[in-house]
Amino acid sequence: MEELKRQLKQQIIEAINLEDMTPEDIEDAAPLFGEGLGLDSIDALELIMIMDKNYGIKFADKNESKAALQSIDTMAAYIKEHRTK
Amino acid sequence: MVYSVAQHIITPLSDTVEGNIRAILDKRTALTSHASVREQSLVKQVQASLFEHISVIKGYTHFESLCIQAVEQAVNNQNINITSPGCVFILSSTKGDIWVSMAQTAKNIAGYFGNKTSPIVVSTACTSGVSAQLTAWRLLQANLYDTAIIVGCDLQCEFIVSGFQSFEAVSRFPCKPFDKNRDGLNPGEAVAVMVMSTVKPDKEHVWCMLGGSIHNDANHISGPSRTGEGSWRCLEDMSEWVHKSSLACLSLHGTATVYNDEMESVAVHRAGLQNVPVSALKGYYGHTMGAAGLLETILTMRAVECGYVLPSKGYEEQGTTYPVNIAAQARHTDKKSFVKLLSGFGGVNAAVAWSLEEKNTPLHCSKWKTLGEITLNANENIDGLYRDKVNNYPKYFKMDKLCRLGLVSVELLLQKIKSDMHDFILDSEKCCIILASRMASVNNDRAYQKTISDKNNYYPSPSLFVYTLPNIVAGEIAIKNHIYGETACYVSANEEETERIVNASLWSSNYTQALVGWIDYPEDDNFVSHVKILIKE
Repeated sequence: MEELKRQLKQQIIEAINLEDMTPEDIEDAAPLFGEGLGLDSIDALELIMIMDKNYGIKFADKNESKAALQSIDTMAAYIKEHRTK
Repeated sequence: MVYSVAQHIITPLSDTVEGNIRAILDKRTALTSHASVREQSLVKQVQASLFEHISVIKGYTHFESLCIQAVEQAVNNQNINITSPGCVFILSSTKGDIWVSMAQTAKNIAGYFGNKTSPIVVSTACTSGVSAQLTAWRLLQANLYDTAIIVGCDLQCEFIVSGFQSFEAVSRFPCKPFDKNRDGLNPGEAVAVMVMSTVKPDKEHVWCMLGGSIHNDANHISGPSRTGEGSWRCLEDMSEWVHKSSLACLSLHGTATVYNDEMESVAVHRAGLQNVPVSALKGYYGHTMGAAGLLETILTMRAVECGYVLPSKGYEEQGTTYPVNIAAQARHTDKKSFVKLLSGFGGVNAAVAWSLEEKNTPLHCSKWKTLGEITLNANENIDGLYRDKVNNYPKYFKMDKLCRLGLVSVELLLQKIKSDMHDFILDSEKCCIILASRMASVNNDRAYQKTISDKNNYYPSPSLFVYTLPNIVAGEIAIKNHIYGETACYVSANEEETERIVNASLWSSNYTQALVGWIDYPEDDNFVSHVKILIKE
């Protein structure tokens, strides 16, 4: 699980161009949006793409993606349960 | 005074204005399900309004051919001297031919007719067609030309549709503007031409353009303002030109996306226009992008002069927080004016007011002086300059290179001016931004194209797609500096050619400050910016 989280953080940093950040700078439980990492609605779409591209996950609806994309912890848990690749 | 003297539209529904009006009154739609877009198979099952066939003129692209055919029809049997130096071509498009500079595309179209003036390209995302009308109006009011031929066109392709899909903005079903169950837009194709002139034509119905306005939300480059900041300001400005009691209708954008329709309803309510009948035409044509502003203006003109407001298709039940006065059936009107409103990526909003009754509003002409200017080129490390001297825009590294160049140029210029004039501040409400480039967003277009080129690795990137519009740089500068004024974007062959546009824009402007820039970023080793701050004398 720790390796998955580290990998996920690296993928987010690269996809969203979080310049000067390393995986260590992102806390597992911190919110990805708003007060936490400060991601916005376009970043949310990139996260959805990361889930599809790297883990074969397609969300059924927006409520499901919203719940899964709250933090690294929630993303990793969702991936563990639903990944198809 | 500036008049609309000739119009023509070609859509998948009909190749005449009258044919399109008949189709709308019959509630026919051009939206159908397509297995792919132009046999480009990566985009699948799209609900869209697409041309089945485009007749290609030898030596010209599909896009150019369609524009040429529409212009030919518009000027046919009209007293328009198309080769006169007093006649300017204006192209309104979001992406043109994508891999060809839109400045060249416009030149090819104008050149077909033997027009010798330098054409102008207005590319402000989905507001282009309304912004282009305002550009023409200003050029004619300033007496730089006596005639303007405005062509609005966009054709759909994988590049565009995949991007909107990555934004989850596309509905699989015919769109439902302002409806409770709306869930996105449909891509559409059209070409629309309007000829504007300072010479009043000898016709029964003569439309006179009263004025127009552009405002930025200063909020987000893709998300509509929840308080409708830019659209509300545009609608407020319209009251200078036309009283709400004279409005036959508001022709709204009505894309049928959840957030944009909601934003428009808020703006309309804030402006006190909630009782004015609303016309929303995307249910017939989808979102025709660079053509939308002209297409929907021309159709509204023809309907209002015949005494009715066009019916909307797809609307059944109120789906916005504030109701809009929309109807599924044509409604009678004896009023003679209307407002066309659009909004788009980059936080830009634009409106124009048209009337069958002439009203000569006096223009407040003014002179401007340059307060300071800055030039950056490929000898500079733009990211290094940002780190060393700016470093206060959290999303800087998420932006494309064109936006980075524009933002750093403006920030360094502001620092320079503030060091000389300690009390100088940019006025949120009284500052406008006018930018131009030659190659628009081509550098980022290549990056986006890579995300859709491999069918085995097809993952269109939304954060790259949003920067495939050349006006986003103006939006980023507006957001960074909280500027609610106009944000305009032109594509031109060179910097000198943009001067007449800037002069015409500022000549009668209500703004007191202007950020004016040539920002061009075709390659990492070939870019230039020249940005000036002007103030009204």
